[in-house]
Amino acid sequence: MAADTGYEADAAGARAGAERAVRLLLDNGALTALVVLVAALSLLSGDFLTAENLRNVGVQAAVTAVLAFGVTFVIVTAGIDLSVGSVAALSAIVLAWAATTHGLPVWLAVPLALATGVGCGLVSGALIAFGKLPPFIATLAMLSIARGLSLVVSQGSPVELPDPLSTLGDTLGGWLPVPVLVMLVAGLLTAGVLGRAYTGRAMYAIGGNEEAAHLSGVRVRRHKIVAYVLSGALAAVAGVLLAARLSSAQPQAGDGYELDAIAAVVIGGASLAGGVGRASGTLIGALILAVLRNGLNLLEVSTFWQHVVIGAVIALAVLLDTARRRAGARPAAPGATGGGQGPRHRWLTGAPLRLGVAAVVVAAVVVGAALRDPDPGGGTRVGLSLSTLNNPFFVQLKAGAREEAEAAGVRLQVTDAQNDASQQANHVQNFLSKQMDAIVVNPVDSQAAGPAVKGAVARGVPVVAADRGVTGAPTLTLVASDNVGGGRLAARELARRLGGRGTVVVLQGTPGTSAARERGKGFTDGIAAYPGIKVVGRQSADFDRAKGLDVTTNLLQSHPGVDGVFAENDEMALGAVKALGARAGTSVEVVGFDGTPEALRAVRGGTLAATVAQQPRELGRLAVRNAIRLARGESPRRTVKVPVKVVAARPR
Amino acid sequence: MVPQAEPDAPHVLRVAGIRKTFPGVVALDGVDFDLRAGEVHVLLGENGAGKSTLIKILSGAHRPDAGRIVLDGTPVRLSGPRDAERLGIATIYQELAQVPELSVAENLFLGRPPRRLGLVDRRRMVADAARLLDRAGVPVDSRARIRDLGIAHRQLVEIARALGRDARVLIMDEPTAALTGAEVDRLFHRVRALRANGVAVVFITHHLEEIAAIGDRVTVLRDGRSVAQVPAQTDRDTLVRLMVGRAIEQQYPRASSAPDRPGRPLLSVAGLTRAGSFHDVSFEVRAGEVVALAGLVGAGRTEVVRAVFGADPYDAGSVAVLGRRLPPRDVGAALRAGIGLVPEDRKGQGLLLDASVADNLGLVTLRGATRAGLVDRAAQRAAATRVADRLAIRTVGLDHPVHTLSGGNQQKVVIGKWLLAESGVLILDEPTRGIDVAAKVEIYRLVNELTAAGRAVLMVSSDLPEVLGMSDRVLVMAQGRIAGELDAREATQDAVMALAVGATTAHSPTDPADPAIPSDPADRAHPADTERANPAEPARPGKATRTSEATKATRTKATRTKATDKTNKTDKKGDSDGR
Repeated sequence: MAADTGYEADAAGARAGAERAVRLLLDNGALTALVVLVAALSLLSGDFLTAENLRNVGVQAAVTAVLAFGVTFVIVTAGIDLSVGSVAALSAIVLAWAATTHGLPVWLAVPLALATGVGCGLVSGALIAFGKLPPFIATLAMLSIARGLSLVVSQGSPVELPDPLSTLGDTLGGWLPVPVLVMLVAGLLTAGVLGRAYTGRAMYAIGGNEEAAHLSGVRVRRHKIVAYVLSGALAAVAGVLLAARLSSAQPQAGDGYELDAIAAVVIGGASLAGGVGRASGTLIGALILAVLRNGLNLLEVSTFWQHVVIGAVIALAVLLDTARRRAGARPAAPGATGGGQGPRHRWLTGAPLRLGVAAVVVAAVVVGAALRDPDPGGGTRVGLSLSTLNNPFFVQLKAGAREEAEAAGVRLQVTDAQNDASQQANHVQNFLSKQMDAIVVNPVDSQAAGPAVKGAVARGVPVVAADRGVTGAPTLTLVASDNVGGGRLAARELARRLGGRGTVVVLQGTPGTSAARERGKGFTDGIAAYPGIKVVGRQSADFDRAKGLDVTTNLLQSHPGVDGVFAENDEMALGAVKALGARAGTSVEVVGFDGTPEALRAVRGGTLAATVAQQPRELGRLAVRNAIRLARGESPRRTVKVPVKVVAARPR
Repeated sequence: MVPQAEPDAPHVLRVAGIRKTFPGVVALDGVDFDLRAGEVHVLLGENGAGKSTLIKILSGAHRPDAGRIVLDGTPVRLSGPRDAERLGIATIYQELAQVPELSVAENLFLGRPPRRLGLVDRRRMVADAARLLDRAGVPVDSRARIRDLGIAHRQLVEIARALGRDARVLIMDEPTAALTGAEVDRLFHRVRALRANGVAVVFITHHLEEIAAIGDRVTVLRDGRSVAQVPAQTDRDTLVRLMVGRAIEQQYPRASSAPDRPGRPLLSVAGLTRAGSFHDVSFEVRAGEVVALAGLVGAGRTEVVRAVFGADPYDAGSVAVLGRRLPPRDVGAALRAGIGLVPEDRKGQGLLLDASVADNLGLVTLRGATRAGLVDRAAQRAAATRVADRLAIRTVGLDHPVHTLSGGNQQKVVIGKWLLAESGVLILDEPTRGIDVAAKVEIYRLVNELTAAGRAVLMVSSDLPEVLGMSDRVLVMAQGRIAGELDAREATQDAVMALAVGATTAHSPTDPADPAIPSDPADRAHPADTERANPAEPARPGKATRTSEATKATRTKATRTKATDKTNKTDKKGDSDGR
């Protein structure tokens, strides 16, 4: 590869080095995209190119990258692994369950978690290699099985991680975060196995042409299974990282991460058709995704538009790579040893095209920047990390928070964690990078928000918890309505309407979420006071209206004579109303929770018997008001209760 | 005979100075070519000479870097296949561009179905298709699914489709490669009818004997240049010389030393049976000899060698190397015992097409180059370089994907990986199918080298001159059984064919010696030749022609007739038992 021929060694060497760097960039579409992205973000946001933020990006990329390394093996064999997110969650749960619930020492619990991942990979691999199932189907099944098992083992609740394990999320020597270290080690291992180990080379052969590999003496089945086992093992590592960072293992963690992992692998230049792919490319792919998420946070791009921008960049990054290949440059071949005897400067042929695509990437980021949330300016800045915006309750909470911020002349940035505790940790980190004066956290999970909030408090940034508390960290103020109390109120209202007699079914929220647990607990406690009322069915509908409709329909099949329905949120209650049709409000009483505008209308219309109305707007308002107060150095209040009340239809 | 195009017929198409480069390769470097209405113009050249690139340019799939394309006296720019189609240029590729799951009618009107009120008018489509098929003389139901048609009928459907688009120029890329003799005849009949109607046909074939039968003029391409334009009646030797740029004195350079000093048996197969595929197959292959496995397509030859190699299971019998029995269905064991298989389907079974030449060459030896789980890639690469030099594999670089190589060079890569593995018994399944003359000879030389070094070769081949010219013994299979064994030096093509079709002759509704062979004009040009093949001499053109046609003619019957009774005809020392 050395280009210099010895004369004028210094100058020639430097020039050759520069040329090599340029060629490396142009020969590798994903790397170009990453460099362009970093450059663009550095220009657009002063907070991006700081040591701390770059460390954050590394930590935020780690879990996706480790998952993606595993998926790289599988994709190289022309397979696909959809189960990695669930397997990561299951492994983390097994770790926490062994270490916390059963008190196993860490040195035993960690191998147990890894064994869980290996086991899942072994099962998927065997189904594919021996059962001849298509990889898509086998791993789709594993996705569901692992998710289910993690809920079974954890009984639906997050499990705390013992202290020695939580340090895995810490920083070594003050500058190297452990997750980044793990990511780099996993990457080197992956590169080593793919590039140098027999099994890796065999995987390329299998992905390139399975029949030819078989006829050349490659044990196809064995190496396929190895690929899935490695994928499972790395998923377990990612699960441990995820849990360590949150100090808690979440049964719902890693949901949808498989798609991020696959995107990272493909952005990194691998082909879903198999036979092509490298660890370095996958790392770049994961970094692109992390840089993008981080950068869009820093730029305060509206959370809704973030999805659009990320999708566009995924497509563009792969387009860039395809264009490069079509232009005829040497492909990022399966570990070609790089004896660059190919004609020089061939990459020039496609340069205009590449530059064009690069320009589009920059344009996408700039457009993204233009889509920032409106910026009222001003001195005080508050960050609000919401658990989700996929629910009217939180949309209202956000609206209230905005109103308050505007009224106070404070700049408010809102992020949406999409019910993913790990995303939320990223968002809180990014708030710290932006040096917010105060942070409002609406935790996805009370336990998992702990480490991130602890970090903020350690930096002297006051934190207000909204709607749900934060455990394991001293939040200065909690602004919440009482879910358990609300559950009791709902039980009392339902019982009163049924005259203390009858059968009811309960639509539970997403298993493992605190709202589901607390409301369920309150309802169970409350209904126990009415021996005439029997709860005949409890099923989860994930806080989702469509699922609420389906689950209610199914429950009505087995319990046609139901008198009442309690839904742990209004969305599901409205779904139940739809399922009941004319019976809603006449022969069946439905009680919801939250008091969303739509539910309140339904109560007025008589189809919904009652809803336990929280006041999300008020909640948002109070949370921001308290955050501002703390930012100005006023003394904190421990808890701020937002009143909850039952809004009921006129009794018939 | 058939009306031939007038020499002064108007030029439909003329290309001049066409140049096309791909990264690292100059595919075409100054090609001139012209086409008159009502002629069949044969494009001839070795694989890699640039025929495919030229037709891709004519069909608008590639754009030339330089040169002119003149259609009816007007220079045109073809910027896509649609352009070519609009101008009346239709192309029938070797791999047919059809949707197997759709009906014939839907394929005929693919992309432009008759519509009524914005919806596809199925009834009209079926009727139109039937009319079109009728006009083209294609005996196919327009409602049949393409998947259910044989390759010959699929081709005819493509011709009908071209007619339906009023093609004035029809480009056919190796249309006869997969056809039987009778089917070739039917195809030629259709092509002559097109020619009579003034359609200009560009015809590509590797079968030299077909040139005189169907062609009017021949343009020879070599290394991306058009080197000559000659009449189709030009004799075979001249054509070969033009193609390769030198005479090939010895097309089958078998240095048969084996029979004089037979080596020890390397591979012994006894009573190998798999229900429905092959029955009681026994033979041995000795050190230093080449054993050919001849027979019709479908006689079970590939099935037997795959079972011997452990790629497929068998029900009874045994395979032993140097007296040590191999476990069934275990490629690894066969490999360790020193058997290598160059499969029939190069692209589908032999190569990792997107992987580099070096990776392909090193695939079999990967295991051996592994220490403690890690592959010694430097050693692998050195070995690949060595074998690439030895085989004179023509490539831009060992890091380039193997699919950028020509067919002959790809085949050398497949063989090369077994050379690296130093296989004692090399099984070659149709080793020279679809590769050019020069590469063929190089492969034959390699076979000689291997056997001279005491190794053994078992070769499945449908090319009779090759079977007789390159082997020491010939085993003929028919209907899954060994029908007989012949000494290659004494065998004739007739004797081999007699054994190959022996079992079916009595039951066949049409005699193998019937119309297919005499009706072929090639035969008229070269009267039947029953002389014994002499492996020391190059096969005569006439002989090659006739027998390969005969082989094809009988292929249909082998697949059509399912006679199950044992009517093995033994010939000479023919004997189906192993020793």
